[in-house]
Amino acid sequence: MLEDLSKATAEAVERGGKSLVRVEGRRRLPASGIVWSEDGLIVTANHVVERDEEIGIGLPDGDQAEAAMVGRDPSTDLAVLRVSGKRLQSPEWVEEGSARVGHLVLALGRPGARPLATLGVISALGDAWRTPAGGAIDRFFQTDVVMYPGFSGGPLIDAGGRTLGLNTSGLARGLSLTVPATTIRRTVEMLVTHGRMRRGYLGVGAQTVRLPESAARGQETGLMLASVESGSPADRAGLVLGDVLLRLDGVALERMESLLNALTPERVGKKVSVDVLRGGQPKTLEVEIGERSHDGPRPE
Amino acid sequence: MTVHARSDERANGEWLDQLSVDSAEMVSRAMKSVVVVHNGRRGAGAGVIWDDRGTVITNAHVVARGRLHVRTQEGTEGEARIAAINPDLDLAALRWSGEGVPLPRGDAHRLRAGEWVYALGNPWGVIGAATGGVVIGMGADLPEMPVRGREWLALGLHLRPGHSGGAVIDSAGRLVGINTMMTGPEVGVAIPIHIVEAFAREARI
Repeated sequence: MLEDLSKATAEAVERGGKSLVRVEGRRRLPASGIVWSEDGLIVTANHVVERDEEIGIGLPDGDQAEAAMVGRDPSTDLAVLRVSGKRLQSPEWVEEGSARVGHLVLALGRPGARPLATLGVISALGDAWRTPAGGAIDRFFQTDVVMYPGFSGGPLIDAGGRTLGLNTSGLARGLSLTVPATTIRRTVEMLVTHGRMRRGYLGVGAQTVRLPESAARGQETGLMLASVESGSPADRAGLVLGDVLLRLDGVALERMESLLNALTPERVGKKVSVDVLRGGQPKTLEVEIGERSHDGPRPE
Repeated sequence: MTVHARSDERANGEWLDQLSVDSAEMVSRAMKSVVVVHNGRRGAGAGVIWDDRGTVITNAHVVARGRLHVRTQEGTEGEARIAAINPDLDLAALRWSGEGVPLPRGDAHRLRAGEWVYALGNPWGVIGAATGGVVIGMGADLPEMPVRGREWLALGLHLRPGHSGGAVIDSAGRLVGINTMMTGPEVGVAIPIHIVEAFAREARI
């Protein structure tokens, strides 16, 4: 029975290894990547790709390819690469939401020719969170797998060899974290379309204030504007100092973080409603969400 | 694992129980071929009964100094002498008067990443201890190995002082390597069995 178990985990590694590539994009040890689509997209960890050119890819069949940089998102530590004219096999993904704490999982890496593996269990699952660099991760996903050198960018697979997400040691020091498929999909789509992550931009500075009971409606706090940048989307929409933001496009704004979360890439360029309290009276305005330039002002 | 297909919880529980019993039995069988190697100084290393002619294989760093003394798990003891030693490979072959059953030998070339293995030895002086995990990889291109360009077995298990010279066995209880060191607290490094066999052949053991 122990031999069956051993054979089964090794076969899971073999299955997962068919979509696992080597990513040669830094001076020291190569790292790993996952085939995202069979037409040539590869997703990896941003921090392991130090250069934008001469990125080598080691394929599961031993073949070697050169990859072009499609785009990076340092905030979620993801990068998307493209190779052309090679046979690639994309992995089977685990159905979203089926992961449970205690499930057996394997982290895979291919810093050399063959797939390497470490075993562990899912340690913790939690809500969506924001990385220190401001990236939105759809689910907190922690394991106790050992992140062996070169494993960043590789997949976390389940006991059946199906992929759960992308492992990186670049998001939080000392934790083995996995970026879930939903986050990868959103980032890949954004990077393929725009070459970079778009961030929504309003052009305000604000602080959290307690709402008067009359306006509360189940929401305890709102955001009082302490500054409105001239010519910004907020300014053009008619927002003024002292306005208390309640909701943006229906999303309750209880803390600065809720505003950051609401300024999603999808809302860039869209006209959305903003509910405010002005002089104690509720008011609804329309604002066209701008796009934050890369090294421009802070997103709020 | 075909048993995975069963949805009956009781059956799953029994299956896990059986796996655990199998694991313990296999470890206790293999442990009979693992010995304690004292070198007259601090602590103790481990060794593996290699054949039925009184040969014990261990690490060179375990036997570097002092008078050597071997003891089996059952308590048979005796003096030992170095029959062959290769500090580069960190391997030594000892001869002693005692007897024992050698472990069946496996094939490290056929080990795949993700296969289950156990390391047997005497960590921190705890005699006859086992630690389990999976094979990270086997080969000459693994990161952070003691000597580059040589084949190593990287294991996702916890080797500690006293494991040195002990056995790495596969899920069928076959010897596939000799514990040698750790790289970081959670990665164990072993010498693959074929390197040990080549050493023994060369030393005409």
